[in-house]
Amino acid sequence: MKYLAALAGAFLAAVLTVSLSPYVKVLGVAPDFVLIFAACWAMVRGQSEAMFVVPIAGLLRDLTTSDPLGLSVLALSPIVFLSLLRELRPVESDFLPALAVVATASLTYAILSMTVLTAVGDDVAWATALLRLAVPSIIVNPLFAVIVYPPMRWLNPRPRPASFGIGSAVQL
Amino acid sequence: MRTLWWTLAIVGMSLVSIVLSEHRTFDPLQNLSLTIAAPVDSGIRDLANPTSDFFQGIFNRGDIVRENERLRREMERLQTQVAAGEDATRRVRELEDALGFKDSRPDDQLVVADVIAQDPSGLKRALAINRGSNDGLDEGMVVLSRDGSLVGTVSLVYDDFAWLRLITDPNSAVNIAVLPQGGKDAAARGIAAGDLRSGVTLEMLPTETEVNPGDLVTTSGLGGNYPRALLLGTVKTVEDKPQAPSKRAVLEPAADISALETILVVTSFKPARLAAP
Repeated sequence: MKYLAALAGAFLAAVLTVSLSPYVKVLGVAPDFVLIFAACWAMVRGQSEAMFVVPIAGLLRDLTTSDPLGLSVLALSPIVFLSLLRELRPVESDFLPALAVVATASLTYAILSMTVLTAVGDDVAWATALLRLAVPSIIVNPLFAVIVYPPMRWLNPRPRPASFGIGSAVQL
Repeated sequence: MRTLWWTLAIVGMSLVSIVLSEHRTFDPLQNLSLTIAAPVDSGIRDLANPTSDFFQGIFNRGDIVRENERLRREMERLQTQVAAGEDATRRVRELEDALGFKDSRPDDQLVVADVIAQDPSGLKRALAINRGSNDGLDEGMVVLSRDGSLVGTVSLVYDDFAWLRLITDPNSAVNIAVLPQGGKDAAARGIAAGDLRSGVTLEMLPTETEVNPGDLVTTSGLGGNYPRALLLGTVKTVEDKPQAPSKRAVLEPAADISALETILVVTSFKPARLAAP
């Protein structure tokens, strides 16, 4: 059931990304709802589910764009490693690491997709693309993740870690 | 260990998929996915259009926006006529010089298509349309705006859908002629190359020819990939460095490329790359 929901969510994100891109532009770039969805899912549900959801999201994205099939699967795969941040808990909040993952994934996605497109013979203006697409997407995608992440977290509340003190099981 | 195996599997499968995709193995699958996504996509676009107008209307009066759009289209239509006229004058002169030279361009046959999606990556300037090889489309065919100016070429064709490469795409290069105003000087030939930053730049323009903002830019027909005298737009700015081997300019496309909804594919013109054995 959860994977069916992930599939439906990824499909909706892929269609939203393709159809809204001419209308929703911030700093000259359109938000990548597939990337945002995959990163938020990975941060909410953990790495093991991300291993399934991220490739599916990438596949659906490639099927609705002119990119070669497999490009987005490859370019979104760093999200699985970035989702380790969820387990490390560098800060008390879940929200800030999620935004950091979306921002980092935006940069890795841009670099990997440019590499693949260059490899298949497309003319990629690296400097312009990095400056005008990759850098703004580091800001724009987390902005939209602010809208996407809270409902996903609300639907999947994370169990709080046991606290020390009365009633806690501390083995000496 | 599990992550390592997953990574190897994903990287391997992705690379194989990319190679197979380049060999067009997944075309039926991509055609099917666009068939499923197209109705949802159109619905979202229909919803997004008024929403976009609403947000624009906060800052701009709706009637001014509509008037601007109407004037822009009218200007594009008139510029197309002027470009065709100026080119026709030159052409008559050339035909007089080369007696017996026959006009090889047949009457255009056009297929009307609706834009159903736009490539979201930003690395490409590509549009998906609801016509494909079943409608007679082929890769390399020329695509015009509703008012007749060049907007791109067909880059990928599936059975019922196709992707267009716009003239603003970094992989697009069109042989062009810059027609000086008044028609006294000779047309400057060059290349209109897509550019992520400025849209379309005019490159390789000879330094000795006069190029000014406002000059009309049309296809030159060289190379055989585009029909002659199709309007691209006007010269916006000219970058004239004294030591540079050629002039460079920026094009203002005649069509509003970011707002294309209906396009025309010229099916009667066979580009050289398709006609070649």
